[in-house]
Amino acid sequence: MKYLPHILLLSALALLGACNLEKEIDLELPLYDSQPVVECYLEPGKPFRLLLTRSYGFFDPLGLDSTFLDKTLISGAVVTIAYNGRVDTLANTLSAEFMPLKIFNYTGQNLVPATPGVEYTLRITMPDGKEITGQTIMLPKVPIDSIRVEWNPQRDTLARVLTYITDDRTQENFYRRMINYATLDSLPDQDFLATDRIAQTEVIAFGTGYELRQGDTVINTLFHITKDYYDYLESVQLAVFGNQNPFAQPARIKSNVRGSANPLGIFTCLVYDRDTTIIRK
Amino acid sequence: MKRLSLAVLLLGAVQLLFSQTTTVSGRITDAENGEMLIGATVEAVGKQQGKVSNEYGFYSFSLPATGDSITLRFSYLGYEPALRRIKAVPGAITLNVALRPQGSVLEEVVVTANSLEDKVKSTEMSVMTLSAREAKAVPALFGEVDILKILQLKPGITAGTEGTTGFFVRGGGVDQNLIVLDEAIVYNPNHLFGFFSTFNSDAVKDVKIYKGGFPAQYGGRLSSVIDVRMREGNNKEYDVTGGIGLISSRLTVEGPIQRDKSSFILSGRRTYADLITRGINRANASDPNYNPIPDYYFYDLNTKVNFTLSERDRLFLSGYFGRDVFKFNNQTFDFLFDWGNATGTARWNHVYGPKLFSNATFTFSDYRYRIQNALQGFSFSLGSNVIDANGKLDFYYQPDNRHAIRFGAQATYHEFRVARLKFGSDDGRINFESGQNFNGMEYALYFADDWSVTERLKLNYGARISAWQNSPAFYANFEPRIAANYTLRDGWSVKGSYARMNQYVHLLASSGLSLPTDIWYPSTEGVRPQVSDQIAAGVQYLYRGKWLITWEAWYKWLNNQVDFIDGAELFGNNNLEGELAIGKGFAYSPLELEIEKRDGRLTGWIGYTLAWVRRGEFEDINGGAYFPPRFDTRHNLTVVALYELTRRWQLTASWVYTSGIMAWLPLGRFTFQDVSGAPFQPVVPVYGDRNTFRYPAYMRLDLGIVYRWKTRRSEQDLTLSIYNVTDRRNPFFIFLEPELQTLGDAGQSIQVPTAIRAKQVSLFPILPSLTWNFKF
Repeated sequence: MKYLPHILLLSALALLGACNLEKEIDLELPLYDSQPVVECYLEPGKPFRLLLTRSYGFFDPLGLDSTFLDKTLISGAVVTIAYNGRVDTLANTLSAEFMPLKIFNYTGQNLVPATPGVEYTLRITMPDGKEITGQTIMLPKVPIDSIRVEWNPQRDTLARVLTYITDDRTQENFYRRMINYATLDSLPDQDFLATDRIAQTEVIAFGTGYELRQGDTVINTLFHITKDYYDYLESVQLAVFGNQNPFAQPARIKSNVRGSANPLGIFTCLVYDRDTTIIRK
Repeated sequence: MKRLSLAVLLLGAVQLLFSQTTTVSGRITDAENGEMLIGATVEAVGKQQGKVSNEYGFYSFSLPATGDSITLRFSYLGYEPALRRIKAVPGAITLNVALRPQGSVLEEVVVTANSLEDKVKSTEMSVMTLSAREAKAVPALFGEVDILKILQLKPGITAGTEGTTGFFVRGGGVDQNLIVLDEAIVYNPNHLFGFFSTFNSDAVKDVKIYKGGFPAQYGGRLSSVIDVRMREGNNKEYDVTGGIGLISSRLTVEGPIQRDKSSFILSGRRTYADLITRGINRANASDPNYNPIPDYYFYDLNTKVNFTLSERDRLFLSGYFGRDVFKFNNQTFDFLFDWGNATGTARWNHVYGPKLFSNATFTFSDYRYRIQNALQGFSFSLGSNVIDANGKLDFYYQPDNRHAIRFGAQATYHEFRVARLKFGSDDGRINFESGQNFNGMEYALYFADDWSVTERLKLNYGARISAWQNSPAFYANFEPRIAANYTLRDGWSVKGSYARMNQYVHLLASSGLSLPTDIWYPSTEGVRPQVSDQIAAGVQYLYRGKWLITWEAWYKWLNNQVDFIDGAELFGNNNLEGELAIGKGFAYSPLELEIEKRDGRLTGWIGYTLAWVRRGEFEDINGGAYFPPRFDTRHNLTVVALYELTRRWQLTASWVYTSGIMAWLPLGRFTFQDVSGAPFQPVVPVYGDRNTFRYPAYMRLDLGIVYRWKTRRSEQDLTLSIYNVTDRRNPFFIFLEPELQTLGDAGQSIQVPTAIRAKQVSLFPILPSLTWNFKF
């Protein structure tokens, strides 16, 4: 919704017949000090894992040489996560998850409990002694109530999928809604953020357009997220969009990790409900 | 008893004073069409005394009642001067004068320009007048004449995005310009996202812009007043005027309702790209894979009637209605996005006597946008609007030649419907709603006296008391205004001014461009009125009676400036104030220079501005530090030249050089792998302080050729405009584009950037266009 006027404006420019003339230019940007970047998702039933990388100046050297990972991953930090009166230390060990590939360079021994309401505190001591801290909470899962497949009355070879949930109106909730067709490794067809801030009813529906055909596989994921995570994802979207769209206002990254190391990143729990539907008449 | 005697004595003295004076008053009009002439000069030949007509063509001029015959000279640039002899006997003389335009082939537009000499002598500073004739001659993008775009070529005014009508005056924001059409506020003066303005040049009579030294009768915006006056219509004969251009066509019909007493004008304009795209859509309707082209068009309609009710009374009724419409529908969507303004004005001029003139005005303004979509079982709508109803009473009192007093009062009722959003299912099971409604009252009282202290020193002093009520918020402010002019010898004058302005409504704009979805928001307890204080000093020199050189320096302080915090949620939000940041600003220029020539075969102007603009002290923006806004362009140089080669041929040119705008570019980047199902993002930009990068300079040369011809029943012209003659690639947008390479196999791969390039996008290459204008 936020981008609608911009999209229309870009369309209008195209209508106007304006020529989109592009050329490469030399640019000098002000100096930038590299910052540590934290990505840590506490997913119930999975080990405590964290990715600690560094950011670069926009035009800093790039490349695929053998030192790429060494340059990007930050090693030698002490990473702990405290919850329920215990502290887990994550070892500086490279691990990965496949389909799709996700990399972590700090991994714990224990699995993340699924108990809602548990508060987690992250503490990282960087090799240079600087600190990073963060807090988050495990939210309850918001289940998908039902999935309805509807066929286009005017063109019955095309269908849409409506996903219904029940929202708890006693508090403000934040959601991330994602739809992948076929596999999770595909680019999501939908990936957007939503709040119930202006919802007047308990029932909320998310839908696709009439674009699905018989036999298509639809993977519906609904994340119940914290405001911190919502703000972070939104700021990432705006930062990317701001560099691509002449009418968009860029934004600084809203991280929920802080400390003397001046970090970027997110420390959050990952609570979601996922459903796979195969389109059939 | 003593007091009574004193009063009688004073009254007697006043009567004696009056009885020894001859006061000449009346209206100055165009002899061919009866239009009133604003700023026409009346002077007594051989005496160093003169006056100019006000915005209703009314003048009042006092002379010693010596009994002698006096010759009065009435003049106006572009018109033949007229001489009238009067006998200076005690009392009042009514003298209406009609001036005949000088012999130009095309005279469908009244030229309104103060004489250069009047400008030198006037207390007005930081003021510019633009004639529709000038506007029509200057080469235009797509040949669409646009008065607001011509204003961008004046010093002290910075253009917004290329090709658009947005502008920034002396470091002010785009919402700090008070744009009024026949005294009714136009909240969004744009069509097609700002590429065209709402002002149809065929219907416009006069545009006056104040950048500083604001007269006390104006208030409500911090940085400028753009006073657009519509033509009244020809009260002598019927005319049809029009033009066919690349983007739109115009047609104006005007004529007398009762010859010499009342007239009407009706002017319309519409784009026609949609007529072509609809044809294409119809031709492809049978193709199931064809994606229809959305419909887009805009139109506007201006109308005005005026009646001379008596020698002392005139009534004007005028209105504007314009809409932009963007829509498309297919099997899934039924989408409509429309927006536009409607304004209405009713004015009654009354002349109480040779010294007192009044104008009672009622205006109505409505700006709204609406976005609607229906998706089989679900519907969506979003809209905002602002409505004003304003009543105003202005008096113009001239007790003698040394004082011209204005005073008046106004009250405006504002109604705001802010970002009303509704989305839900047709069965009512699902419903989202948001939006806020506000209303407010704005009041003002003002007084000003244009006082000729001596023959050389003139002072315009006054004040405005403004107030705003939006319960429980209430604000009242005192706005002093003062301007002085000291005329030196040989065409030189020195000027200075100070003005305080308050602004009670704020535009919440999410980008540097004016979008129809930008929201007007009232002052509340949390959002205090914006305030500006501006001082200006300047020198004017009239060289050989033809070249007017104006140098001004100014400094402006801005308080309670409104901006968005990063990532602000404009829609679907019942608490917009939570997204706002309040701060300060300042702007200054040691050098704002204009050299203008408005007489002879070569006319035009050269403008140059050297200025700095800053915003800061926003708690949630840039850590409170000051930063340059996007439109902080250091150097602005413009040259506009119009050359009458022959009576039929005119050559025109405009050249613009502007320092690049400021941009907020990313300094760093990081990799965001995100969660399963979401795309890996190899490059997420990291933004630092706002607007630390300056775009390359902007430069553009436009040329135009006008060929005019006249037949027994018509006057016509063909205008060739060439926009960006040198085909220069000016920066519209710069972005940083990474080149990516995939490492690993499917399902076990990541992308890494191997190169990053800076790309500059330009909007308009060389663009020729041809327009045919006619008058029958």
